[in-house]
Amino acid sequence: MQPEKFYYDNKIVRNFGIATIVWGIIGMTVGLLVAMQLFKPGMNMGNQYTTFGRIRPLHTNAVIFAFVGNAIFMGVYYSLQRLLKARMFSDALSKIHFWGWQLIIVSAVITLPLGFTTSHEYAELEWPIDIAITLIWVVFGINMFGTIIKRRERHLYVAIWFYIATFVTIAVLHIVNSFELPISGLKSYYLYAGVQDALVQWWYGHNAVAFFLTTPYLGMMYYFLPKMANRPVYSYKLSILHFWALIFIYIWAGPHHLLYTTLPSWAQSLGIVFSIMLIAPSWGGMINGLLTLRGAWDKVRDDVVLKFMVVGLTAYGMATFEGPMLSLKQVNAIGHFTDWIVAHVHVGALGWNGFLTFAILYWLIPRIYRTQLYSTKLASFHFWIGTLGILFYAVPMYWAGFTQGLMLKEFTPEGILKYPTFLETTLRIIPMHVMRAVGGGLYLVGVIVMAYNLAKTMAVGKLVAQEPAEAMPLEKVFVAHNEGDNFWHRVLERKPIQLMVLSLLVILIGSIIELIPTMTISSNVPTIASVKPYTPLELQGRDIYIREGCVNCHSQTVRPFRSETERYGEYSKAGEFVYDHPFLWGSKRTGPDLQREGGKYSNAWHYNHMLDPRLMSPGSIMPNYDWLINQKLDTTTTASKINAMRTLGVPYAAGYDKQANTELDKQAKGIADNLAKDKIKVQSDREIVALIAYLQRLGTDIKVTKTANN
Amino acid sequence: MFKQFVQGIDGNQVYLITSLAIFLLFFIVVTVMLIRIKKPHADYMSDIPLSDNQPKHLNIQEL
Repeated sequence: MQPEKFYYDNKIVRNFGIATIVWGIIGMTVGLLVAMQLFKPGMNMGNQYTTFGRIRPLHTNAVIFAFVGNAIFMGVYYSLQRLLKARMFSDALSKIHFWGWQLIIVSAVITLPLGFTTSHEYAELEWPIDIAITLIWVVFGINMFGTIIKRRERHLYVAIWFYIATFVTIAVLHIVNSFELPISGLKSYYLYAGVQDALVQWWYGHNAVAFFLTTPYLGMMYYFLPKMANRPVYSYKLSILHFWALIFIYIWAGPHHLLYTTLPSWAQSLGIVFSIMLIAPSWGGMINGLLTLRGAWDKVRDDVVLKFMVVGLTAYGMATFEGPMLSLKQVNAIGHFTDWIVAHVHVGALGWNGFLTFAILYWLIPRIYRTQLYSTKLASFHFWIGTLGILFYAVPMYWAGFTQGLMLKEFTPEGILKYPTFLETTLRIIPMHVMRAVGGGLYLVGVIVMAYNLAKTMAVGKLVAQEPAEAMPLEKVFVAHNEGDNFWHRVLERKPIQLMVLSLLVILIGSIIELIPTMTISSNVPTIASVKPYTPLELQGRDIYIREGCVNCHSQTVRPFRSETERYGEYSKAGEFVYDHPFLWGSKRTGPDLQREGGKYSNAWHYNHMLDPRLMSPGSIMPNYDWLINQKLDTTTTASKINAMRTLGVPYAAGYDKQANTELDKQAKGIADNLAKDKIKVQSDREIVALIAYLQRLGTDIKVTKTANN
Repeated sequence: MFKQFVQGIDGNQVYLITSLAIFLLFFIVVTVMLIRIKKPHADYMSDIPLSDNQPKHLNIQEL
């Protein structure tokens, strides 16, 4: 048999690399802007398109799907070809994948500031974009499996298993969390409501971290770290254990995002138990990575690429120790909803994803350009300013998290809340937020320096777009030569489709056990007779609440702690959310919880608060929402919204859609008249009226029962 | 702490026990698999990234 000559496609790797850098700078700049908005409301820039609620999802989507996403594809396209000794399956599919993905990101950049959002965290993009993501993901899958099929290396290296698990699991997560009923070109309602919607969302949210931010990066670690250190991975057996244990356990852990909520307690317990177990495979992987450098630590001293890898792996170890710890109920009670979580995710994002990406870029770009890195000094500067940036980011955020978490729980000896006003706790942590922005700024400076350094490197070198290689073709039929060749894991290593199916089964076990009972057993969500569907005006108000991204700062779930029931009112019940498509429990309290907001303040208070929050709460960091007073409510959508809700099982009477706007006008007039008594002149058809109607409804249904019972 | 878990799963033990059984079974299978992997094969697999630019055909029987 003669060796075959072929060419690796480096152009597609380069393109994804450039996209990684460009989107990284954009995503992090938006991150810096939102960080500044949290201590200087003026940074919201006085218009609706740049307020925190709309821009924060832009930051998260840009860094996760644009920066990390492109970095994944860069790493996969580089390593997959070499591990399989084959060019990518189809140049056309590679191009469609690249441009399709960039188009999806551009559509996110346009739609999110315009207020088109589903409100599900890290899945905010509306239904047409969801479909585009599915199609492009399939293109990626075909290209990857096509390459695997025409490979010249019989066995699939562990990195490729991680890529396969990433592909299959992200597909499942994305599809299940995108079951939406469209009501217009860019608006939809989720099929699930309340508790079920929350479980699906956090099953998705947690596993997006697992299978988008972790498994592909572990795959890249298993390829690039041995290449960088020029020595094989410490333990191949450990990598197998790492792979199967990680994908099996991770999928169960989602409910730890919903501790103390109305999610059934058995699901919470499962989430906790598996979160704690998760430390074993996570640390197994980290140790396998770090020990790969055994005997090469002298290289780490000189090689900036390895420095990035070591800090990245350490950050992974820290974040994956902290995750299980935060899943303990006692710790979660303090940490959840605070900046502690923000610190936690940024140790992972900046340290693990960021630093691994930088290491790969610094290693890969000079190689595909057949040149040396333009400046190792600048790269070293990037490493130190980046590390300093992470510290300046994380330490103040931990401090802010502990401070606020404990302040919110503190009682006086007399048994009343020591800090009854939420704003007091916000003002206390403003200095930490300033320091965090400094940390983020330092990190961003490092990335800009890297962009300059790599651009100079590219200018000096010349891209080897078609890199020649040769390898023997595979025998058509595999002949076992050694004892053990037919042992089933070795067989599996030769059979990509079976490996994919088995990975799919492994991730489906935990998903099915958690999701199906919550969806099907009615006792998991006890209904409450007094909970009624929203009025048409409240429904429209709720959609404004979603559009403005209020959920990014305000939760709607009161946990059963005395500190919360004293502050907010009665703790939440599962039955209260049965008409909430989507749920709006939130994950962070930059402002107070709003689950029991209804009836707490007058309509006039809400009006003035929206006009300028500082009129009612001096020192508040909430943006102004003055445009809601001028913008006319779009009532042409009312009927289709009512019909969609009916389709989803909300018990509006048949034909209600036809009278909905009449009722809407009536309720709106009532609110406008009420405001007029407080000398506030506002037309009843303005958006502010709908939002006030919604806010005044929040959490009042169970108060109706109490009044009736009394 | 264990008591808290047990109390919190009233009437739903079947889910937790099933999960525990699946979990144990899963790890027993993976352990058996790991024990049965032979060193030459493990060495071959871990060398794949380092041999990716070599034109020489490395097949398993050569080890």
